Amino acid sequence: MSWESAIPNVLAGETPALASASSDLPGMNSEEFAAFYERSARPLWAYLARVSGDAALADDLVQESFLRFLGADHPNDGEVSARRYLFRIATNLLRDHWRRPRAASIEDIPEEVFQAGDHADACDSRMILGPALRFMRPRDRQLLWLAYAEGYSHREIAGITGLASASIRLLLFRARRKIARLLRENAPDDGRVR
Amino acid sequence: MRLGACGREKEVAEMLTRGHWPEAASSELRAHVNGCRGCRDLVLVKEAFRAERTAAANAARLEPPGVLWWRAQLRRRNAALARIGKPILGAQILSVAVTLAAAIFYLAWQAKRGYAWPAWLQQFPRALHLEALLPDALTKYPGETWLVFFGLGMLAAMSGVIVYMASEKH
Repeated sequence: MSWESAIPNVLAGETPALASASSDLPGMNSEEFAAFYERSARPLWAYLARVSGDAALADDLVQESFLRFLGADHPNDGEVSARRYLFRIATNLLRDHWRRPRAASIEDIPEEVFQAGDHADACDSRMILGPALRFMRPRDRQLLWLAYAEGYSHREIAGITGLASASIRLLLFRARRKIARLLRENAPDDGRVR
Repeated sequence: MRLGACGREKEVAEMLTRGHWPEAASSELRAHVNGCRGCRDLVLVKEAFRAERTAAANAARLEPPGVLWWRAQLRRRNAALARIGKPILGAQILSVAVTLAAAIFYLAWQAKRGYAWPAWLQQFPRALHLEALLPDALTKYPGETWLVFFGLGMLAAMSGVIVYMASEKH
């Protein structure tokens, strides 16, 4: 790109790069995105809220996941793969959140954290799985949710979480056994198969 | 630990996914599930997670898709602007480097010729009668008068640079 063509267009806001940025985003137009969002935002929020145990964090991460999804050159081969890609972004964001160093002193913690905690408690009390999920490790919660709530195969879970496909089976087996035991311990006797 | 999944687990999982369990299951399959620990765990866990998914999805508080679409466009636009701004920043750095090199070259050249200009520069405030602006104590020493004006000049130049950089950042 030459300076003669770039500089006047920058000032006018019509540089080729900017023009492409203001048109449709890669892979989707606004109507397609709205339809995709309607179908996938709620399951994604449920995944993030239940795995993290924090509804406020889920709100933030859902938005960030969609923003990154729209900004990325994601595989354009159908809604199933787009949704898988979205869950992968969300999983990476969640992992980054857990890896981030915590504040060292109570003065460093913003006030919103305490408000979010109150909300998370209220959210937890409505959960069916809540008490059992709290005893699970975050990775196990992720695997269980992806397998049993979203219905992903071991290979798809490996693609989303970045874990080796071979280890998913063993990890899921252990996690399922543990949460089944916890659910049995906490469940009221309603006559269903336990 | 036995890892081999029960041979009927897939069948049970399929019925659960389709919502056919337990109504559409044969009595024989239901009896198997009651007796098989793996299948029993599968039914318990899958039913619990699917119920939780429905409950959680209904509790979601979401932004309208149009807001996210607009924010994504804004982010892409800013990224494109940053990409375009990179060569401009490079040109600015290059111009500063060339100016500095030219100044150093000029000073070195002047040094070789015996520094005729510092004496002229010292007389410069006097030529313009600038010492009238200074307090009496400073006007007694012409060298220091020159230093004061040099300092003020540097301050003015640096202020300009700082204002420019702040406005660029903004």
